[in-house]
Amino acid sequence: MRKDLIDYSLKYAESKGVEYAEIRGLEERIEQLLLKNGELETYYSSSDSGFCVRVLVNGGLGFASTNKWTKKEAKTIVDLAHRTARAAERKKDIEFADEKTVVTTWKVEQKKKIEDVDYEEKINEVLNIDMELAACGVNIKARMLSCAASIEEKYFINTERSMITSSVPTISVFGFITVSNGGRNEQGYRQFGYSGGWEAFDKWKASDKLIHDARTLKKIITNAKAIKPGKKDLICGPEVTGIAAHESCGHPMEADRILGREMSQAGRSFIYEGGQFWIGETIGSDIVTIVDDPKIVNSYGYYEYDDEGIEAKRRYLYKNGRINEFLHNRETAAKLDTRSNAASRTTNYDREAIVRMANTFVLPGDMTNEEMIEDVRDGIYMVSFTEWNIDDKRFNQRYVGKEAYLIEKGELKNPISRPVIETTTIKFWSAVDAISKRLEFEAATCGKGDPMQGIPVFTGGPALRLRDVYMK
Amino acid sequence: MNKILDRTDRITKKAKELGADEAIARTIFGKYRQTRFSNNQIDITVAWNNYVTDIALSWKKRLVTTQIQNFQNVDKQLKEIIDIAKVSKENPMFHGFAKNKFLYPKQNKKKRIIEIETPSEFILEAIDYAEKEAGSDINCGGTLFSKNEQVFLSSTEGPLGIDFRTAVELSIRVFSQREASGHSTECSSTLKNFNPARAGSEAGELASLARNPKPGKEGSYDVILGPLFSGSMLSMWTAMASAFNIMVRLSIFVDRIGEKVSSDIVTLKDNPAPYSVSNRIFDDEGVPIKETKIIEKGIMKTYLHNSSTAKLFKTETTGNAGIVVPQAWNIEMDSGRTNKEEMINEMKKVLYLTNTWYTRFQNHEKGDFSTIPRDAIFLIENGEIKQSLKDIRLSDNASRMLKNIKGVSKERRHVHWWEEADPPSLAPYLLIENVKITKSK
Repeated sequence: MRKDLIDYSLKYAESKGVEYAEIRGLEERIEQLLLKNGELETYYSSSDSGFCVRVLVNGGLGFASTNKWTKKEAKTIVDLAHRTARAAERKKDIEFADEKTVVTTWKVEQKKKIEDVDYEEKINEVLNIDMELAACGVNIKARMLSCAASIEEKYFINTERSMITSSVPTISVFGFITVSNGGRNEQGYRQFGYSGGWEAFDKWKASDKLIHDARTLKKIITNAKAIKPGKKDLICGPEVTGIAAHESCGHPMEADRILGREMSQAGRSFIYEGGQFWIGETIGSDIVTIVDDPKIVNSYGYYEYDDEGIEAKRRYLYKNGRINEFLHNRETAAKLDTRSNAASRTTNYDREAIVRMANTFVLPGDMTNEEMIEDVRDGIYMVSFTEWNIDDKRFNQRYVGKEAYLIEKGELKNPISRPVIETTTIKFWSAVDAISKRLEFEAATCGKGDPMQGIPVFTGGPALRLRDVYMK
Repeated sequence: MNKILDRTDRITKKAKELGADEAIARTIFGKYRQTRFSNNQIDITVAWNNYVTDIALSWKKRLVTTQIQNFQNVDKQLKEIIDIAKVSKENPMFHGFAKNKFLYPKQNKKKRIIEIETPSEFILEAIDYAEKEAGSDINCGGTLFSKNEQVFLSSTEGPLGIDFRTAVELSIRVFSQREASGHSTECSSTLKNFNPARAGSEAGELASLARNPKPGKEGSYDVILGPLFSGSMLSMWTAMASAFNIMVRLSIFVDRIGEKVSSDIVTLKDNPAPYSVSNRIFDDEGVPIKETKIIEKGIMKTYLHNSSTAKLFKTETTGNAGIVVPQAWNIEMDSGRTNKEEMINEMKKVLYLTNTWYTRFQNHEKGDFSTIPRDAIFLIENGEIKQSLKDIRLSDNASRMLKNIKGVSKERRHVHWWEEADPPSLAPYLLIENVKITKSK
């Protein structure tokens, strides 16, 4: 990376007169491979590098980026960002919350370095998963497996003399399968994600999990029955807990959304100043605490400093059933008279950093799954989900079960076919009366921003028991 | 030869020298500008310049791809991906890149280039027009986006050409109350045909009509989808026509060529014509684009192909490469015989849905999915808006909805919005019978 050009860009920005400027350089080594029905479609291998400038001038923000590492181009993008910031002509100036200067270097260590694994081994690693899946005894009519490995080096400096260098390797695998039996089919997908080296594959046990999914889908085709709609108890497995925490806690607690900055894309929030829901208001059962924590070791959403150079920490979003702390960057923190809690993230040098989650999960309780089930007379255990969505104020949501079982008189019974919970954020979190002690995580790619910035996160949690919710 | 085209051409020749059987290089010089606004003010202008060459090459039916950004190390990077190809696995489904020297239509670059010096003027114009419809106490947000791309493509198999791709887009969402909003977009390949006021007016009018919404009720409804919503559905259906998605069964159209898949009044095409924000003259293999009928009068005519998938399906490429995944560029639904007003007036009871987001499937092959209507939602009875609604979900089936299309409007709108109505389309109003609406309980 040409750090000299980044340093030059900052000096040049300062010389033009700015309230604030930052330059972020990024170099990323990327490898991706795609398997379709057992055949290696393509292997993509490349390097991406570029740098961007963000400036605050006369209360307006400007951002520009390039992948051309020349002094002339550096001047061009600084001039461009400066000009567009000045042209904003806002009625109310943008300000950034005061934060301390940070000079540091951080990195995620790899036990087995991605760059030391040769291409053939990488291909075989993914092919082996596919072959085991194909040989699992289930009729899988279609398989798609993709793997992406990258090493992202960043260099961040700003006019407050922060200087942060980082290196983060990440690996992910995505699998999609269609299982067929007797002319009927079911589909499922699973994502694995890790910050670290190639040792991820030893930890994931990806083929075991995908084979489990294939067998589950077959079981759904052959044995699952539809349920009679009505009010029931629902036990959500960690995967369902995780998506609910992400969608109906993490997203509505993003301060940029609360302040309206994402209004024409990802939307706003049911939480807003002057509304029914604000900090301190009850959102659910008092045993529910949901946090977002970037510093879970080897998590898919891991980081130590965010893309504004603020040190990461655990954020308590819903605490004991109450709205507690929004996710902030420096701009939203200034608007709400607080400090940033390091939620500013971006996917690349050519994208503006915006408020994002990292790893969002429900804190565990003290029960076992068995204890939670034995106290249910008429209920459902939804282990995993297929279709899901939530409205753009993050209030009305729906989760459709994939692997799910009937619970009768405290015992797990037959699999059931696509049970649906369609409910509100308040009803969901208010119905929780028990939380298991076993915490599990799933990797996901969170979508937000325009252009879209799919960012790596963990969703997760323990199992939850919801009492008396409408299921269909 | 143009200097950049020559450099792109030399990359493919070098790849061949180094042992590749076939190679395609596509250089893009792109300038993209986006001004984002919310709460009636500009939040930020984001500008990004990209200079890249994408390369795909094959060696003994092994396909490898890369992107070059540093043109000092072209040979090294080519050698590296050829080395990857040599340890890679044969892909029996790869049948080579398009073979021919094609003639492309001439383009006037200077006439089309889009430079927006003062984005605030366009944005304020749209907001002004929204205020005229909905009053001054509104909250507007959105984006103004422009794209200028020069695309230089060379293939060892013959194609060689230059394309200029331009776009200007405005997206505006207007809130007249906390839960009453309207959304509209304005999309064009030239500034000459770009009219921000129209989008502002429409979003403002919808936001005004949407005031005081009440929660909707579950049930089966006839629905009219506005162009943003129908554009999202056209994107969904057309993605399922990609031959790649057929092969991995992410589609309701598996094994349906020649069969009836929709009502007779549906003709669905791909056509990245000059008006489109996705305008182009060739695909990623250098095949000239054309109008491709995917569904004609209800009958599935073709999937969308590149050269390899076309060979597998024993047909010709449709000019929709994607080196790996064929894709639609710009969807068009043929206009129908009715219009929006007639649709509204002729229905005793109908839901008018203007926009949607967050479409997710239980099973793509079966087509079971749900999506969440947002912005203005109206219950219309006997031609009059009876009530503005909120908090509903459309939970139905992609195949069933295609078959239940009972009306296609004469008027069509060129729409493109975020990830939802993407790729862009020329979208009509659609009348669809018996659509299942659900809600939270």
